[in-house]
Amino acid sequence: MKKYVLKRILYMIPVLLGVAFLVFTILSLTPGDPGSIILGITAKPEDIAALNAQFGYDKPFLVRFFTYIGNIIFHFDLGISYSSRQPVINDIIARFPNTFLLAVFSMIVSAVIGVSLGILSAIRQYSVLDHICVVVALVFASIPGFWLGLMLLLLFSLKLGWLPSFGAASLKHFILPTITISLTSAAGLLRLTRASMLETVRQEYIRTAKAKGAPERRVIWKHALRNALIPVITTMGTSFGASLGGAIIAETVFAMPGMGTLLTNAIRQKDVPVVMGATLFLAVLFSVVVLVVDILYAFIDPRIKAKYQNGGRSRE
Amino acid sequence: MNKRKLRRMVQVKEFWRRFTKNKTAVLGLSIMIFILLIVIFADVIVPYSKCIEQAGAERLQGPGPKHFFGTDEYGRDLFARVIHGSRFSLFIGVATSLMALVFGSLIGASAGYFGGMIDNAIMRVVDVFMCVPPILLSLAVVAALGTNLRNLIIAMTISCIPGNVRLIRSVVLTVAEQDYVEAARSYGTGNGRIILRYVLPNAMGPIIVNTTMMISDMILSAAGLSFIGMGIQPPAPEWGALLSNAQTYLFSAPYMLLFPGLFIIITSLAFNLVGDGLTDALDPKLKD
Amino acid sequence: MTELCPHGGKGKRHRKEQAWKTMEDRKQKLLDIEHLSIIYKTDLETVYAVNDISLSLEKGQTLGLVGETGAGKTTTALAVMGLLPERTARVTRGKILLDGEDVCGMTEKELLRLRGEKASMIFQDPMTALNPVLTVGSQIGEALYLHNAQELSREQIEKKVEETLEMVGIPKERKNEYPYQFSGGMRQRVVIAIALVCNPGLLIADEPTTALDVTIQAQILSMICDLQRKYGTSVIMITHDLGVVAETCDMVGIMYAGEIVEYGTLEDIFTGKEHHPYTKGLFGSIPNLWEESDRLHPIEGLMPDPTLQPEGCRFAPRCTECGEICRSKKPPLREKDGHQIRCHFHGGGDSLSAEDRKEESHE
Repeated sequence: MKKYVLKRILYMIPVLLGVAFLVFTILSLTPGDPGSIILGITAKPEDIAALNAQFGYDKPFLVRFFTYIGNIIFHFDLGISYSSRQPVINDIIARFPNTFLLAVFSMIVSAVIGVSLGILSAIRQYSVLDHICVVVALVFASIPGFWLGLMLLLLFSLKLGWLPSFGAASLKHFILPTITISLTSAAGLLRLTRASMLETVRQEYIRTAKAKGAPERRVIWKHALRNALIPVITTMGTSFGASLGGAIIAETVFAMPGMGTLLTNAIRQKDVPVVMGATLFLAVLFSVVVLVVDILYAFIDPRIKAKYQNGGRSRE
Repeated sequence: MNKRKLRRMVQVKEFWRRFTKNKTAVLGLSIMIFILLIVIFADVIVPYSKCIEQAGAERLQGPGPKHFFGTDEYGRDLFARVIHGSRFSLFIGVATSLMALVFGSLIGASAGYFGGMIDNAIMRVVDVFMCVPPILLSLAVVAALGTNLRNLIIAMTISCIPGNVRLIRSVVLTVAEQDYVEAARSYGTGNGRIILRYVLPNAMGPIIVNTTMMISDMILSAAGLSFIGMGIQPPAPEWGALLSNAQTYLFSAPYMLLFPGLFIIITSLAFNLVGDGLTDALDPKLKD
Repeated sequence: MTELCPHGGKGKRHRKEQAWKTMEDRKQKLLDIEHLSIIYKTDLETVYAVNDISLSLEKGQTLGLVGETGAGKTTTALAVMGLLPERTARVTRGKILLDGEDVCGMTEKELLRLRGEKASMIFQDPMTALNPVLTVGSQIGEALYLHNAQELSREQIEKKVEETLEMVGIPKERKNEYPYQFSGGMRQRVVIAIALVCNPGLLIADEPTTALDVTIQAQILSMICDLQRKYGTSVIMITHDLGVVAETCDMVGIMYAGEIVEYGTLEDIFTGKEHHPYTKGLFGSIPNLWEESDRLHPIEGLMPDPTLQPEGCRFAPRCTECGEICRSKKPPLREKDGHQIRCHFHGGGDSLSAEDRKEESHE
C-alpha cells in the first residue's frame, strides 16, 4: 500500500510538469506582448522593449517556460500581474480560500445528498420516492447552475431577504452559492449511485449472500454498498473538478471575490500572468484532490492494490 | 449480404420498439424535434430583424401580447431573441460534441486498438489534460484566443476530447477483447476490416449514449461560459448571454431570466431524456 | 411404490393416501415438491418457466436435475431457496415442502432461517459468486454468524471457519485473502465452504462444475460427494452433463421446457428399457467410448418459446417419434415402478397425472 501511494505521488510530478507546460503553451498563444498590453500600442517602442525585457519576454519560449517553473519551485513565485504590478501569488492567496471553501462545501453537500438519495432510490426501486428522485435528478442535471443561482438569489435575497446576495464576508454568504453548485452536481451523483447500486444488487455474490440467509438490510449495507460505491468514488475526483468549475461561475452570480472572478477579470484585462497562475494553481489543487480520491479508492477495493503489485499503473 | 442487412433491420426495429415503449424517452425525442424545428424555422417564426430592433419606448416591458417574453433594456423583443438564440445553443452543443467525438474516437480508438507504446503515450498526455477541470481548460483557451463563437467551440472541444478519448479507448478495449473479434482475427481478417465491421458497430451503443448526454452538457457549459462573459458576446442572442444581461436587471425585470433559462433547461433535458432512453433500449438487461 | 409418488392430488382418495403417506414419509423425506408452476411476468411478456413439476428427495440422497439451459432447473432451485426475483417471478401453483414446511408460504423471517441453515446453494460461476471486497474468511464466517444458534463466540466462529476451509482443501492461513487471489477451482471450494459451514440438510448445486476445468471438475465433484456422505446432506445436483449425473446421483429428473419429462432412479434412467424420446436424444448427443458409431445423434431444433403454452406435448416439434396426438393433446405422466415418463407412447403403467388433471377439471 505504501508503495502504491509513493508511486502515485511520484507519477504526479511529470503530470504536473505536463500541466504547467500545457497551460503555459496555451496562454503563450495570447496575441501581444506584455509591453504593449501594459503600456498600450501608442507607447514608445523602447519603453515597450524595456518592459518586455523586464518580464523576460525577449527570451525564447522554452527558456521562459523553465524560468517560470524554476521560479515556482524555488521561489513560490508565479510572476507579476500586468495590471496591478503585484506578485500574482498574493492575489491567489487572498482569493483562493473562498473558492476552495465553496468547492469543498459543495462537494460535501452534493455527496451527502446525491449518494444517500441514490442508495435510497435504488433499494426502493419503483417506489414513489424512487420515481420522484429520478425525475428531480434528471431535471436538476439539466439546469444550468448559474440560472439556479440567480433564481435562489431572487427568492432568498431579494424577495425574502434571508441571505446576503453578494460577497464572502461570513459563512452565511456561502449558503446560496453552495446550494447552487451542489444541487446540480448532487443530481449527477444521485443518478450514478442509483445506477451503480442497481447494477450491484444484480450481481451473483449478492445472491450468494442472500442464500446464506443474510437479511435484506445486511445484504445492502455489508455486501452491496461497498461495491456500489466504487464507481461513485472514482468519479468523486472529477466531481470536485466540476465543483471547482461551478464555483468559478457561481462567484460571478454572487459577486464573490474568488479565483473565478479573479480569472475572468484577468482574462478581460489580458493579464496573462494572473490567468496562468490562477489556472495552474487550480489545476494542481484539482490533481491533488484526484490523487487523494484514487488512494482512498484503493483502500476500498482490494483488487486495486493487487493490480498495483503486478505493476499496473494506469488510473482506469 | 442481404441476410446481414435483414438482421440489422430486425435489430433496429427491435431497438425502436424498446425505445418507443419508454414514454419519457419519447417525450424527450418530441422536445428535441420541437427545438430542432424552432432552429430550422426561426426566421419563419419571427424575422431576425426583430432581435436587433431597438425601441426606446418599449424598454423592459414584461411579457404581454405584443412581446410574448417581454423586452430587454433596449426594447428588443426577447421572444425573437430566445427563438434565434436556439440556433447558437444547439449549434454549439452539437458541433462541439461531434468534433470532440470525432477527435476522441480517432485518438481513443488507436490507443485502444494498437496498445503498447502508442497507447501509453496517448494516455499520458490525456492524464495531463484531465488534470485541468474542463471549464478551466476552456477558459484558458478562450483567454488565449479571444472570445467569439469559433474560439468558444474550439475551447470547449479541446476540454471535451480527453474524456472522450478515455471512454472510447475503454469501449474499444472491451469490444476488442470479445471472442468474436478474436475469432475474426483467427480467420485472417485485417485490422481495418475488424475495426469497421466488428469493433465500431459493437462499440456504437455506449458512444451514442455518451454523445447525446455530452450535447446536453455542452449546451449548459456554453451557456455558463457566455454567462460569465467568456463565450458568445452580446448583442448576439445566445441564451447564456441573454441571462448574463438579465442579471443586471434581476430586481426590476426578473422575467428576463425566466424564458432563456427555461429554454436551456428544456433543451438540455430533452437530450438527457433521449440519452437515458437510448441506454435502456440498448441494454435491456438493465431493466428487470 | 406409493412412497415414491409425491403427487398430492386434491381428490378424496388421494387425500387419504396422502395422510397415510406423510406419516411414513416425514421420517425420511426432506424435500417434496408438488405440482410446482412458476412464471416470470414482465410488462412485455410472460415466461412459463416451470410447469407443473413434482419431485421428492430423501435424506442423504442426491437428485440430479438434467436439461438444457432454460429448462427451468435454476428457477426450481431458486424457488426452493425462496430466492425467486420478487418483482417478476410468481409461483402460480403447487407447494414446496422442505422438512414438512411449505417454502412458498413462509414469511421473510422464516425464509432467512431456511437459507443457509436448512438449505443452501452453490452457484454456477465461482468467479462472480464471491463478494470481491470481503475476505473469504469473513464470507464463510458470515453464514455462521447469521445462524448462530449455539451462540459461538467470535473465536469459535473463526475456528470453525478455519476447519471448514481445511475441509474443502484450502489452507486455513488463506482465510484473510480476497477472492481475486484465488483461482476458479479454489473459489468454488470457498463457495462450497460457505454453503456447508452451517451443515444444512439440503444442498443445491447449480451446475457447480460447468465453469471449471475438467480436472478441477472431478475434484470438486468428489469433494461434494465426500462431504455429503460425511454429513448426510441431501443434494440437488443441477447439471446438463450426464456424466456428472452418473457419478453422483441416486435419483434423476430430466427436465425439458419447464417440465419433468422423465423421473426415476439412476438405473431407470441409464439402463431402463423405456425412455422419453428427449432422454434418448440426450444420450444420443454424447459420444460413447465403448461403442463404435459414425456420428453423434443430436436433438434437432431448439427449445420452444417459453412465453407460449402449447396445446400438445412441448417436445413434439423436435421429437422423432411425434404422432398426431402429440400435437393436440398433452401427454400424461405415466408411472411404472416409480419410473415416470411424460409421453403418449412410452412409460406404460398408470397415468398418474392424467387422473389429477381430470379431478382438476371438475373443480
